[in-house]
Amino acid sequence: MKKIIPLSMLCALSLMADATLDTIQKELETQKQKTATLESQMQALSRANTNQSASFSQNAYLPDIAFILDMSAVARDVNNTAYSNYAIPGFIAPGDAELIFNPNRGFNLNYAELALHSSVDPYFDAFLVLHLQSNVFEIEEAYVITTSLPMGLRVKAGKFRSDFGRLNKKHHHSWHFDSQALIHEALFGPDALKDPGVQLQWVAPTDTYLMLGAEAMQGTNEASFGASESNNLYTGYLKSSIDIGESISLLGGMSIIHGENFENNTLNPTDLYGIDFTFRDQLGAYSSLLWQNEFIQREKSLGIRVDKQAGFYSELIYTYNNNYATGLRYDAITQNDTDLSAYSGVDTDNLDRFTAMLEYKPFEMSRLRLSYTYDRSKIISGERKNINDVMLSLNISAGAHSAHDF
Amino acid sequence: MKKIILTLVLGVTLAYANINVDTTYSTLGAIVKKIGAEHVNVTVLGSSKYDPHFIVPKPSLLAKLRRADLLIINGGGLELGWLPPLLRGAHNRNIQNGAKGFLDISHSIAMINVPASVSRAFGDVHAQGNPHYITDPHQVPIIAEVIYKKLKLLDSANATSYEKNYQVFMQEWKNYLTEFDAKMQECKTKKVVQYHLLFNYFLNRYSIKSYGNIEPLPGVSPSSKHTIELIRMMQKKDIKVILQDVYHEKKSASFIADKTGARVATVPHDVGSVKGSDTLKSFYNTIAKQICH
Ligand SMILES: [Zn+2]
Repeated sequence: MKKIIPLSMLCALSLMADATLDTIQKELETQKQKTATLESQMQALSRANTNQSASFSQNAYLPDIAFILDMSAVARDVNNTAYSNYAIPGFIAPGDAELIFNPNRGFNLNYAELALHSSVDPYFDAFLVLHLQSNVFEIEEAYVITTSLPMGLRVKAGKFRSDFGRLNKKHHHSWHFDSQALIHEALFGPDALKDPGVQLQWVAPTDTYLMLGAEAMQGTNEASFGASESNNLYTGYLKSSIDIGESISLLGGMSIIHGENFENNTLNPTDLYGIDFTFRDQLGAYSSLLWQNEFIQREKSLGIRVDKQAGFYSELIYTYNNNYATGLRYDAITQNDTDLSAYSGVDTDNLDRFTAMLEYKPFEMSRLRLSYTYDRSKIISGERKNINDVMLSLNISAGAHSAHDF
Repeated sequence: MKKIILTLVLGVTLAYANINVDTTYSTLGAIVKKIGAEHVNVTVLGSSKYDPHFIVPKPSLLAKLRRADLLIINGGGLELGWLPPLLRGAHNRNIQNGAKGFLDISHSIAMINVPASVSRAFGDVHAQGNPHYITDPHQVPIIAEVIYKKLKLLDSANATSYEKNYQVFMQEWKNYLTEFDAKMQECKTKKVVQYHLLFNYFLNRYSIKSYGNIEPLPGVSPSSKHTIELIRMMQKKDIKVILQDVYHEKKSASFIADKTGARVATVPHDVGSVKGSDTLKSFYNTIAKQICH
């Protein structure tokens, strides 16, 4: 009996214990469930916090986009109709001039430009520049460059501005003056030398910068070339640069072009030779002195004769404290051995031009420029006329920051 | 004769084995020299005398980038205005963004002053946060570590040497920081204004409060209205130190100093910016000295 009591007591106890354990276990279960719900809620919340993007959003891959606007107010002592028919003897016949920049007295909206850039993949970068005018939509440039070729090589393919010389590659908004350099206008026109084609450039693995380049292009530029049946324009150039001390840099280049013209409905060779030289002295953190020069000669065969023409520009730009700049440019045609009989009785010697400018940049993305031009290179209504031109231009570039040029 | 040839060959191979490291700024270059020592040839692209946002893209820099095995950039958008065209023009596939020989240090830094919204109406705001972390000596070990790892990866033949240099440098810098931080204690109550947000990492580290900038907006030249407001504020808050960098105009600072009786401290933003800041330690010592004493 004695034995039974403790046994039954034990049983009872264990039963009781079982009951308590049960409740505790149940409690634990519910607690566990609660924690799990809380945890999943918290996870959902933190997921919502860290990633709110739509499942298929690709915004992060948007290309860099910049848009550029260029406008001006012009005072000129020639009326618009007469001016639009100007001639540069030996280069541009009356009525042939293509006026893109600042054609009118009064106000001009010259263009809006849309520039896009993006990495395509680990092997290519792509660029697209759209040039928009009131009645013109043009793909100014659309090309890819390689980023992974060995041995310092790079290929560019598409439609692009040729790297011939110094100025041709640069877009209007990065020029130091609102008008195109005279020799460039005379030989290439305001569209510059740009065409569909391919370019191969090589940078030498040397202490001194040395770059060799070659291009094959379609050759549609009518001012100097214009044979359109097949690609016929070949360009080669060499560029090099040295520094003198920390502040002075010299940059020089030699370029040649071989192409074909289609004057008088026959194919004949056109050859161009260019040399350029730039001196730049960094006077302080934001101040510099730049002296840039370019000389180009053209030999254009017309079957019966070879025209030899040449010219240069020289410009001096002083930039003060990033906000101000002032500059002078002298343009001249130095050789004009061609048929000038259309201008008999008109003085066609000493075609040249002076330009002075003063620039104010409130911020690096906007630029106001006041310029004065004394132009002695043009024939207006059959007469040699020296033109005075005062212009205030505004250029802004918004969106993606385009890096500074040398 | 054999010996000579052997030395010649060895000399050539040794010289050849060196890896060319380009850094965009001088402090990064100084840290690379500590870790890489005799195994690296360091080229600094941007002079510390000029504004790091506007390094002149000289064509000679193309030649330097052309031969680099490793390009180390500050990142955070600081090189945006000058490096991308150079990188495209150098035709060096080893150092393109994403390649093995490209290192953006800012990816390892906890960036401060990250703007909630970005618009150029607020000036040339650093969209990815303040990229001027180099002024804080406590960032040096973090930078040294990523550089050490990268060198080891690129040049595994010299890994032991890099590791040794790294360990030695870390110990040396730890000791230096202990001393440096102790000295900076007395500087805690300082109040300053600065030209651009160049020294925020340093100021934050040592609880020095910056009350404003001489430039009204990042990248915008001082205006008289803003300068007068700044002077009033400085008088009210009794601010006696103006932090001036080496490359901005100095007229505004000296005008403000005249009106407020504050001291203009010319503070280096990078190794070698001012006289006597040519080494890592002297660089940070000069910052401390100019701000505190
Ligand atoms: Zn900045």
